Amino acid sequence: MAARLRAPGLIRAGLFVVLGVLVAAVIVTIARAAYGFSNPFDGADGWDVKFQDAVLTVGLISSGLFFLVGIGGFDYWFYWASGKPTRPEDHSSHGATSWKDYFRVNTDHKVIGIQYVCTSFFFMLVGGLLAMLIRAELAAPGSQFVDANAYNGLFSVHASLMIFLFIIPVFAGLANFVIPLMIGAPDMAFPRLNALSFWMLPVGGIMMAASFLAPGGSFSTGWTAYAPLSTEVPIGQLFFTIGVQFAGASSIATALNFLVTIITMRAPGMSFWRMPLLVWANFSTSLLVVIATPFVASSQFFVLLDYALGFNFFQASKGGDVLMYQHVFWFYSHPAVYIMMLPGFGIVSEILAVKARKPIFGYRMMAFSLLAIVLLGFTVWAHHMFVSGMQSWIRIPMMVTTAIIAVPTGIKIFSWLATLWRGVLHVDTPMLFVLGFLTMFTLGGISGVMLAMVPLTIHVSDTYFIVAHIHYVLFGGSLFTIYAGVYYWFPKMTGRMFDEKLGKLHFWLTFVGFNATFAPMHVIGVQGMPRRVADYPEQFASWNLFISIASFGLGLSTLVFVYNMVSSWRGGARAEANPWRSLTLEWQVSSPPPIFNFDNVPTVVGGPYEYGVPGAVHGIFRPAEEDVPTEAEPQAVPAGESGRRDE
Amino acid sequence: MEAASATHGADVGVHDEHGHGPPEAHRSSRVEPQLLGMLLFIISEVMVFGAFFTAYFFIRVVNGDQWPAGGTELPKLVALVNTCILLSSSLTMHWALESAKSGNRFGLKAGIFTTFGLGATFLFIQINEYWHIGFAPQDHAQGSIFYGLTGLHGAHVAIGLTLLAMTTVRAFRGHFTPEQHRGVEVPGIYWHFVDIMWVIVFTTVYIL
Amino acid sequence: MGEQDSGRKHLLPLLAIGAIASACGIGLGLLINWFPIAASEEAKPIDTLWDVLLIVSVPIFVMVQTIVLYSVWRWRMKPGQELEDGPPIHGNTRLEVIWTAAPAIILVALCSYAYAVLHDIEKAEANEMKVRVVGEQFTWTFFYPGSGGGKELASSQLYLPKGKAIRFDVQSKDVLHDFWVPAFRQKIDAVPGITTHIRVRPIKTGTFPVVCAELCGLGHSVMRQSAHVVSPGAFDKWLADMKAKAAGGGKPAGGAAGGGGAAPDAKTLFASGASPACGSCHTLADAGANGTVGPNLDKVLKGKNAAFIQQSIEDPGAQIEKGFQDGIMPTNYKDTLQPEEIKALTDYLVKVASK
Ligand code: HEA
Ligand code: HEA
Ligand code: HEC
Ligand code: CUA
Ligand SMILES: [Cu+2]
Repeated sequence: MAARLRAPGLIRAGLFVVLGVLVAAVIVTIARAAYGFSNPFDGADGWDVKFQDAVLTVGLISSGLFFLVGIGGFDYWFYWASGKPTRPEDHSSHGATSWKDYFRVNTDHKVIGIQYVCTSFFFMLVGGLLAMLIRAELAAPGSQFVDANAYNGLFSVHASLMIFLFIIPVFAGLANFVIPLMIGAPDMAFPRLNALSFWMLPVGGIMMAASFLAPGGSFSTGWTAYAPLSTEVPIGQLFFTIGVQFAGASSIATALNFLVTIITMRAPGMSFWRMPLLVWANFSTSLLVVIATPFVASSQFFVLLDYALGFNFFQASKGGDVLMYQHVFWFYSHPAVYIMMLPGFGIVSEILAVKARKPIFGYRMMAFSLLAIVLLGFTVWAHHMFVSGMQSWIRIPMMVTTAIIAVPTGIKIFSWLATLWRGVLHVDTPMLFVLGFLTMFTLGGISGVMLAMVPLTIHVSDTYFIVAHIHYVLFGGSLFTIYAGVYYWFPKMTGRMFDEKLGKLHFWLTFVGFNATFAPMHVIGVQGMPRRVADYPEQFASWNLFISIASFGLGLSTLVFVYNMVSSWRGGARAEANPWRSLTLEWQVSSPPPIFNFDNVPTVVGGPYEYGVPGAVHGIFRPAEEDVPTEAEPQAVPAGESGRRDE
Repeated sequence: MEAASATHGADVGVHDEHGHGPPEAHRSSRVEPQLLGMLLFIISEVMVFGAFFTAYFFIRVVNGDQWPAGGTELPKLVALVNTCILLSSSLTMHWALESAKSGNRFGLKAGIFTTFGLGATFLFIQINEYWHIGFAPQDHAQGSIFYGLTGLHGAHVAIGLTLLAMTTVRAFRGHFTPEQHRGVEVPGIYWHFVDIMWVIVFTTVYIL
Repeated sequence: MGEQDSGRKHLLPLLAIGAIASACGIGLGLLINWFPIAASEEAKPIDTLWDVLLIVSVPIFVMVQTIVLYSVWRWRMKPGQELEDGPPIHGNTRLEVIWTAAPAIILVALCSYAYAVLHDIEKAEANEMKVRVVGEQFTWTFFYPGSGGGKELASSQLYLPKGKAIRFDVQSKDVLHDFWVPAFRQKIDAVPGITTHIRVRPIKTGTFPVVCAELCGLGHSVMRQSAHVVSPGAFDKWLADMKAKAAGGGKPAGGAAGGGGAAPDAKTLFASGASPACGSCHTLADAGANGTVGPNLDKVLKGKNAAFIQQSIEDPGAQIEKGFQDGIMPTNYKDTLQPEEIKALTDYLVKVASK
């Protein structure tokens, strides 16, 4: 038993969390004593709320870190730092033999990828459940189930979970599984950092979800947490402030890992212009993350300092500047919306080429447009502040840059359409979601361009028109690509095929439910229904009832997906190595791939999308002679083989 | 955490020589992974400071309040001395690394140890300055951002010191060879970054 | 399909479908009546801008939609094609140039147009009337310049003369709020520490909702008031009454009686009169109110005396009902309600509580 307590894992992590809280209590007691504040122990009368809040604040930070220590995220570095001999990298922390292996620190990018995807989908379900409650409350005017405070909590946690614990990490998860395979690398550059960045997610996520238990209710200032409100609300706010730090640190670490992996570990012959577009997409995204994410971290530092230590960053009476928060926050959070879209673009390119059996139209422009979006993405943040009262001249340049972003995005949309043109379209589940994405994201993007037009935004800002835009780009955009990607790589990840019928059912239910839910929001928005309200005038009642009913249908459609994934993983038909007849490297190894991905590193001899080019191959599995003829015989090693060797 | 990563990366190589881990990946770039990692990490660190400087800009320039807040003085001289201390620690760091490369163990130990010492002194003087400076972050926004920026930098010095502590321990335990000294190099890069950052903080907050 | 099929022959049907669909789409878009009633001069150009945006956007969306559906219909894999590939088309510079340039041109055009509109709706006008708008959790107070630069006159109701150019100076006492009158199409945040502005020229008489559009805490959704646009004559009269009262040391008009006056009916005051209405936050069966932001007065007021209740209205912070925070119930009823109105409310609540 004692051994199991000392061994890294969830049990030890649990103990360490408790330990973390105790440490916090001690620190706070000492600090308060030092500053001559009362402590409950030194006979001060009654339980001191200030003390409790202080312990909570410090405890959130310490227990989070202690959890990471407990789970074993740091063990290796502790050994290394103290100069002790480090346990050599053996297979015990590589690969997964049973479901239990997914609940401990594991340095295998394939395991981590799956850990990422499952965790983030769990939080998606929770966030979705909250959305269901939002809709239940909004089904009719007046207050049904929840009071104002609980409602503000609902949409705040809903959005925070969906953004920081679902969309961003799930993309990181898919990329984590696929990218090393795609570029012919045995693993990520920093496997232990990779594991650590995964384990930061549950910390941040559980913190946000648990905020509902906090005294005074969960954080209730929206996912934007605008100061000064966020410095005055009950303690639940800090569950966001600190939770975001963990989520943010996690995505910075992963992005760093991707960049190093992509730059230094590509297979021989894979020049940048031979990389699949998913790799390009995550390369661009990672640039965004590394540069932008520190800003959201800082914005929350400021809030924390104001909140906990009485600093004055946002206290106008003391010379603080309220708008500064919004500038810092949006300097991250606008790039963040592309962090939530670019990987999706990558997924779409992969699937479209394979399912249309054609090369991606204008491959280079596709790559360049990604980089263009990255650059432009940093020049538009103030379009979220058109009515914030900032210097009014800023609105003009921001309007132009914002609108111009539609150009590179348009290039991508049109190139995808051209890729469809005269192809041989395999319209199965992944493809359906891709096509759904093409149309729905265009709609969301166009409403975005409308929002860029300042005079219109002056009217519709902070209305349900924004809510509609949000969901058309995030659900119809990001989430559709995520569904497509999960279906597409499901055979590779699990070695099983999913149920195609259920997949199609899921698509159609989602597609219809999604539009029925969010399209009407455009109308009530322009008509003047503000967002973030638990109660609204009679005139919007009928639309809202309609929306709520539709949204429940949308919720149920998600359950079809969940059922399909679970049952297929457990009992689905075995998947062959390359069910989609794709050229990219991850499909040239067995499903699931061998423990170290490639028994011998492949050599890349051509572009990734040469469909329809007679005899073209992307990678071959024998060491390349000096100048390999581009039309080497297709797939030198039959795909299944390396797999059989593995079993 | 990322810092640790970069340093940990320092010995992926070591193990792969044992042949336990994944097969050696093909190197598609001349850059060392762990150096590149540290570089990217420093970029994001620079952005953290960037955000704090944005706050400083808004409070001092956009709001146009007087700096430092009425009736307060910043101890320019002390800070200047402190700056010199920190800069000299960069030199000793460099010395340590060179010695490690040339296999001069004494130079390595002495260099890394003095670096640590100087860094600690800097931190001590900084805290001491807080003690006597005469205004608190709670007093006014100028106070907040002053403590914010210098404190943020202080925190980075602290991180740097922990890295140096590890390296020192290992140095005295006889680690690091002319071939295998990335454990000195990587913390070194971080330490130089912390120094340069201080020069910027110093000039904007104290001098300008 | 044969290689000689260049794909050109598909363009005509596509164009036809696209044109028809776009026409329908635009028609539908223009049919829906999107906006609330337009009660200000600024509303017109904004509504027109919207129509233009619709006319530009619909074809773009329809085009994408059509191409997707057409391709699926025309080139979906047929039995026997399982192992076939499409033609290896890698790109077409001319096309790519077109679809980079065309959107760019459209967008620049739209931006210039939008800029013109913006300039038009925000330009200063001669002899504007200034109204100072102060937001606080969770209510607006409107200040009118007093006679001869005298003390400003506060009102909880926004009264505006039809046809006069008005400049709002918006401020906040605590957190961010957003002063929005949908019928005017204008909106601006109330930011602590700075004063923000919008300009409006009302052109329709009537009563329009004033909405707080920036999340400001528990009462955000109940932070709604009314803007009354009246004929210049009526407005001057109203202003005169206000000044009279101010001179007479009386409180500015608020509540149900726009012009103050006769002893008010406490129940209406509670349910709708006071602004924000008590009922929007408090539950009180007798007044048919079921708000949940504040304490349920049916419960908490049992056995409370008049003094306490009056204090709770005039200075809510004095005693905080446990389970609730301070600073949520507006602190300005003292200013915006007449003494007799407060008296009436107090007596009424005592009565209700005792039965
Ligand atoms: C995935 C996330 C995502 C994406 C990709 C986008 C993409 C865009 N967004 Fe969106 N946005 C959000 C997520 C996203 N947004 C969120 C979450 C908010 C709310 C935050 C909050 O307050 O809570 C928001 C808010 C928001 C605002 C602020 C509204 C307000 O609060 O007042 C604005 C204003 O300019 C805006 C604009 C745009 C634009 C111009 C794009 C462009 O990138 C879109 C470009 C794409 C296209 C245009 C379609 C394809 C292009 C063509 C087919 C070419 C031809 C088209 C034309 C010529 C028009 N968005
Ligand atoms: C990727 C991001 C994402 C996604 C997927 C969603 C999904 C949904 N969102 Fe969300 N939403 C946001 C991002 C997202 N949202 C953001 C950023 C905001 C702004 C918040 C702010 O103002 O700060 C917002 C705000 C927002 C509002 C406005 C709240 C307000 O302003 O007052 C509403 C209201 O209808 C809403 C509804 C929905 C609905 C019905 C769904 C549906 O798609 C959900 C579908 C349902 C599920 C996917 C769950 C299904 C599962 C079950 C039914 C059972 C689960 C079982 C267990 C968990 C055990 N959202
Ligand atoms: C925006 C919300 C809001 C509005 C509007 C509001 N109140 Fe309140 N009220 C509260 C809150 C919250 C409390 C509890 C905190 C406190 O006691 O100050 C409260 C407390 C009270 C109390 C004291 C209850 C007790 O037992 O402590 C009374 C009496 C009261 N309100 C009456 C009124 C009347 C009369 C009006 C209208 C003229 C009104 N309220 C308008 C939110 C509101
Ligand atoms: Cu005031 Cu919302
Ligand atoms: Cu944006």
